[in-house]
Amino acid sequence: MSRYEEDLWIITRDNLLALMDVFIKTREVIAPVQGHGGEVIFYPIESIEDVAWDWQYVNAILPPKRFFLPQTEVMFEYGYDNGFKITPRYDDRARMIFGIRPCDVNALIFLDRFFGGGSLSKKSPDEEPFFPDSHYIRRRANTFIIAFGCHQPGENCFCVCCDAGPFLEEDYDLQLTSMNGEYAVEVGSARGLKIIYGNEHFFRMASTGEVEALGRIKKDALNKFADTCAYVSKAIRRVTEGKVDDCLWEKLGERCLDCGGCSYVCPTCCCYNIVDIPLSDKSGIRTRTWDSCAFSGFTRIAGGEIQRSDKKDRLKRRFFHKLSYQYIEKNKRHGCVGCGRCITTCLADISMPSVVEAIRKQEVIVQATRTLRHKEEI
Amino acid sequence: MRDVYYPDIAVIEGIRNETGDVKTLTMRFKDPGIQENLTYRPGQFFEVSIFGIGEMPISITSTPSRKGFFELSIKNVGLVSGALHSLSSGAEVGIRGPFGNGFPYEGVFGKNLLFVGGGIGLAPLRSLINNVLDNHDNFGSVIILYGSRTPGDLVFRDEFKVWEDQPDVTMLVTVDRGDEKWTGNVGVVTTLFPKVKIESQKTVAFVCGPPVMIPFVIKDLLKLGFTEDTIISTLERHMKCGVGKCGHCCIGHKYVCLDGPVFSYREMRAMTE
Repeated sequence: MSRYEEDLWIITRDNLLALMDVFIKTREVIAPVQGHGGEVIFYPIESIEDVAWDWQYVNAILPPKRFFLPQTEVMFEYGYDNGFKITPRYDDRARMIFGIRPCDVNALIFLDRFFGGGSLSKKSPDEEPFFPDSHYIRRRANTFIIAFGCHQPGENCFCVCCDAGPFLEEDYDLQLTSMNGEYAVEVGSARGLKIIYGNEHFFRMASTGEVEALGRIKKDALNKFADTCAYVSKAIRRVTEGKVDDCLWEKLGERCLDCGGCSYVCPTCCCYNIVDIPLSDKSGIRTRTWDSCAFSGFTRIAGGEIQRSDKKDRLKRRFFHKLSYQYIEKNKRHGCVGCGRCITTCLADISMPSVVEAIRKQEVIVQATRTLRHKEEI
Repeated sequence: MRDVYYPDIAVIEGIRNETGDVKTLTMRFKDPGIQENLTYRPGQFFEVSIFGIGEMPISITSTPSRKGFFELSIKNVGLVSGALHSLSSGAEVGIRGPFGNGFPYEGVFGKNLLFVGGGIGLAPLRSLINNVLDNHDNFGSVIILYGSRTPGDLVFRDEFKVWEDQPDVTMLVTVDRGDEKWTGNVGVVTTLFPKVKIESQKTVAFVCGPPVMIPFVIKDLLKLGFTEDTIISTLERHMKCGVGKCGHCCIGHKYVCLDGPVFSYREMRAMTE
């Protein structure tokens, strides 16, 4: 049951369409849409007709992190007129993300802690933001989260193994789960409750039978996820204890293509580069762009020396950051939410489940296919 | 909520050529309120912006005990440092910070202090040396051992005599290779150790210099009886944000810009990758 509000609500599909129409008029609504190639991506929508519904997709191919940490973002503008003047650029637009999956929401919570905002619905006193990232925090603060719970795993999903799904317990505004042609609506925050009270005519309270039905759906879903385990916790132990042999990273490094794709599609990866771009001889912008620790230039210092020049060191670094226990202490969860995008993206099969398996078995296995489910069949 | 990505403007007031490729810039924040409220610890750094070109982290070489200005010593090695070298007095730059953890200060009250510097590594040490000498009552004796490749690479030469003339301060300088005019010591900085009396049990050592120098100095310090906790050094990494967000300077669980750049030898040994 939702953490914030004990009551469960129900909304019919037609009412949900109408509610979304209301939102489209007052804020930018980002929802899953069918792209040209048939794949689903998160994109701002003009009308509710554009939306792909939760049974039509597992997840968007790109994570929604780019709406909070854009691939390229202007941090400030500078100009020179008898002295330098700097104008920061923030994005405070009212937005909503509709149809986001629990794995991606858990990734946003991870990024919240890292960027210094803390969890938006819960801020523990010892979680003092050291240096809050104002750009991320302001985008995040003004965006509603309406999530879809997942009834069954997709081909590459392993969120349960990563404690990141298939349903959210907290830190969301509304969570919808499709049930008997309608949607069960759980409330995760004060803001979510306001949405319901502000649009009461679209919702009705759930009956006891409906509350029980949702419980059964969730239990069923968990059962279906049971064999998606990727044994991530075992890898966490080995990595934290320093028990992973370097030759494993060397073997994996031999096939890494340095494309950075893993970092781009990973919902928790957030390393960035900062670049000044002059626009005239008296003005310009400072921008930040996504970066990846897998790139060889990531640790290049002035003078040209590269401090992690061996690929094996970079891979070791990447998975240490994702899995080691001290980071879990810092961010309250580890850096993988089991969304499976790295499985689809990595051409060299250095996805999280592959690496976890290699760490567990202390040997590197080359897989011919790039799906989690088919691995067992080989 | 203060925006840590937003630089303040500082003006260059003076430029001193230390060597062929090192300049010390004396600077002041344009806003007198910011300059007046400026506090920092020796060992911390600023992120210095040349707008349109980029930003670089530079250790603060002035001491917080002297107000009204701050100093940065910059070696010309790349884009931003090259641009800084081309600026003249009156030019404006962006400054963010101070960032980083700084050297232990109150924690070494009452101790003898040994400074071992190599090349431009003397710059962050100078901040602590001057801070200590401005408050010498709080500390024991001070020994400064400094070396660089050639006499032309020695920085802060005007200050050597100022330091040596202070009571309870010993300074020895060496170069790897002398020239026709050099009459001082010749040899790497570790060759200076036998020339001074060091009571390692009562002393804390601060070591800053090129990576090639550090392991040899640490080895000799351990032989002299220093412990992993009484050897303090600094690490350098590529940095962008300076506030532990961009990921570039991360080693193991530590961000060099947040948990460092100052680390004890014990902390450096504990780094896992």
